[in-house]
Amino acid sequence: MITVTNFSKQYKGFTAVNDLSFTVEPGQILGLLGPNGAGKTTTLRTLCGIIPPSSGSLSVAGHDVAKAPIEAKENLGYIPDDPRLFDTMTVWEHLAFTAAAYKLRDFEKDAEALLASFELTHKRDTLVHNLSRGMRQKVAIACAFLHNPKVLLFDEPLTGLDPQGIRGIQQAIRDRARAGAAIIISSHLLSLFENLCTHIMVLNLGECRRFGTMEDLLSEVGHTDSTSALEEVYFSITQASDETPESVKA
Amino acid sequence: MDAALGQLLMLRLRGGLRQRLHQLASLRGLLFSIAFGAIIWFLVTSNSLSGAGFLGSGALNPQEFNEQIMTFMPLSMLALSLLTVVMTTGPTFHFSPNEINFLFTGPFRRRDLIVYKFGAYVAGVTLTSAFIALIAPPQTGPALSVFVASLLTLVFVQLSSAVISMLGHVLDGSKLAKAKWPVIAVLGAATMVAALSAWAAPDRGMLDLLSEFRHSWIGTIVLIPYIVFAELFVAQSASELALWALVAVVINAALLQAVIVLDARTTDRSLAENARLSNRWERIKQGGSFWATERSEVPSIRRAPLLGGLGPIAFRQALNALRNSFKLILVFAGLAASIAPISTALGAPVTEAHTLMIIYIFVAFILPRNLVCDFRGDLSRMEIYKTLPIAPWRICAGQLVVQAFLGYAIAMVIIASAFVFEERVTAQVALILAAFALPLTFLIYAVENTVHLLFPTKLVAMGRADFEFLGRSIVEFIAKTIFVFSAIVVSIIAGLLTLRVMEGTLVLPAVVSWLTLTLIGLLTLGALQYAFRRFAVAETID
Repeated sequence: MITVTNFSKQYKGFTAVNDLSFTVEPGQILGLLGPNGAGKTTTLRTLCGIIPPSSGSLSVAGHDVAKAPIEAKENLGYIPDDPRLFDTMTVWEHLAFTAAAYKLRDFEKDAEALLASFELTHKRDTLVHNLSRGMRQKVAIACAFLHNPKVLLFDEPLTGLDPQGIRGIQQAIRDRARAGAAIIISSHLLSLFENLCTHIMVLNLGECRRFGTMEDLLSEVGHTDSTSALEEVYFSITQASDETPESVKA
Repeated sequence: MDAALGQLLMLRLRGGLRQRLHQLASLRGLLFSIAFGAIIWFLVTSNSLSGAGFLGSGALNPQEFNEQIMTFMPLSMLALSLLTVVMTTGPTFHFSPNEINFLFTGPFRRRDLIVYKFGAYVAGVTLTSAFIALIAPPQTGPALSVFVASLLTLVFVQLSSAVISMLGHVLDGSKLAKAKWPVIAVLGAATMVAALSAWAAPDRGMLDLLSEFRHSWIGTIVLIPYIVFAELFVAQSASELALWALVAVVINAALLQAVIVLDARTTDRSLAENARLSNRWERIKQGGSFWATERSEVPSIRRAPLLGGLGPIAFRQALNALRNSFKLILVFAGLAASIAPISTALGAPVTEAHTLMIIYIFVAFILPRNLVCDFRGDLSRMEIYKTLPIAPWRICAGQLVVQAFLGYAIAMVIIASAFVFEERVTAQVALILAAFALPLTFLIYAVENTVHLLFPTKLVAMGRADFEFLGRSIVEFIAKTIFVFSAIVVSIIAGLLTLRVMEGTLVLPAVVSWLTLTLIGLLTLGALQYAFRRFAVAETID
């Protein structure tokens, strides 16, 4: 569903991502983990066609994002870390806009259901610049879910959400994966990965340091008294600067 | 002023200076600042050589010029004050969020904070006054007197606006507040009656009526404070200037004291207004519009049009125009409607080259800078557009449709007004202008957006002395003008060539000319599509 092959991205001489390869199959949830500047957001933004790759190929639902961007984007939902909505439009109008952009003719029923599931029904006619950050995040997610995409990309999905919101979004992500969506989540919240992800990729300085299933990673370290197992894995990999990068296929 | 606040003011001024010097250290900043300097030099030298003002308007002798100032300057300042009352929105002295966090919680009296803000304002208008003194026409007298007069007048405008706004805030909720709109309605009706009577009487114009009011005893009483500042500009000697400057300083000091007294009664309102203005500036920094609806809930439009992907983008911009820029559109439509009657009243009809140049600046510079319903207001949301499954040319066309339509509507108001008020603009001429205005407007905004996506930048200056911004704006405008005029010339040549081949009829050459201009507009849409594809979201705005 998501295939990334030898992907590299350079910005004015700086290598943000170097020779990255991986796949995410339907139903899998991949967690992208790494310190600031590791290349997580660059990878997500390239996958959804915001920035072009310097080399390599990236495909979404069988469509190359560089060669067939429209077809790839029709199957994609992207939720950025800072949802920049259109401040002169209401919550409902964002859904209407999204429906028109993705050529959805009968979207009202699905839109109503999304509003209800994210507890936004009473905010339907509110202009989004009056919403809290968490509410705006929910609107962005509702828009991304509306066309029922086969691939979902989340960049820090829980920022600004209250505990109820966090629980709701986590459940929504699980439901989407069960329905067959391939999902990538980028976050610094290790507990989110432990709750949701089937696979983990640890990035550092633009290179893949570790890629595998959650079970494999956790079994390598085992449980400790003071910290979570994933935290142990994360620090052992990112602090071992001389480790050879590897690209693995799941 | 409190010593710490005085120190803060000095540090901020030094910081501003340091920022400008940093701009000069980069090649781009240096080039744009030199360009700005060159334009100023051109204005200064053209003023001193021709003895005429900017754009070469007919030079008046000093006596006539002074009479004009004494008659119309007080009236203009009164109009500005009335406008402030009607359109009062922002806080009288704007404190930024960091000033509120640091200074409001610090050991400062409210009075000191007002004086600190006033000091910052005076520092800013000192620079503006120096600029005015540089480019003022020679009839206004020595540069020093223009500087002093401008400085004191600008301070007066700020303080008088503040006092009027604060009085409005104090009166809000009282019985007197109910009288605001009836009084405005009566004044508006009186103005309309005066305008109609002036229009109906062939030997008396609107300016004659205003002049009569200004020199009447009631006009003199009403305008007394404003007349002091007009006297500053026409002072014939240093002693006369010093005398009027002293009176002006006393008036300004009294107004500042009034501000301090009234401020104590409007603190809550002031805080709310500060927060609102800060939100607006934050929106501008993110590439948005300064104007935004105050409403939090509106009836939603149930569906957006598809139109092959062009519809949803145009839908978004149409809502933006309707909810954020509606008042602005009305203001520009009003200005557009008044261009022809005012220019005719001033003896410079719209068919004259100078007036046409001013109209061009209005349509191609002032209007696009203020009415933003396209890519230029959406730089912070480019990643949304980049992730949409819509072909780039459709996104670009969708972005331009609403903006070009609004620009065309304003142009149509100018043409209609010219048709009504100017004899030489016949129905046939008006129709031809209306036909050509459409591709021309589209071309202007296609170029505007292409340049903006290729070289993204902020839409407003960061402070008064942002010479890089000012230089860049002027250079961009000149470059765009060269392109637009070249397109016009090419379309005229295409029309003339057709006329030469198909002798006798003017219709076909006009059609060929129109099609050529339209084709250039569509080709520019191709360039905009290239700029959109090339736009790197990660780099955002500088």
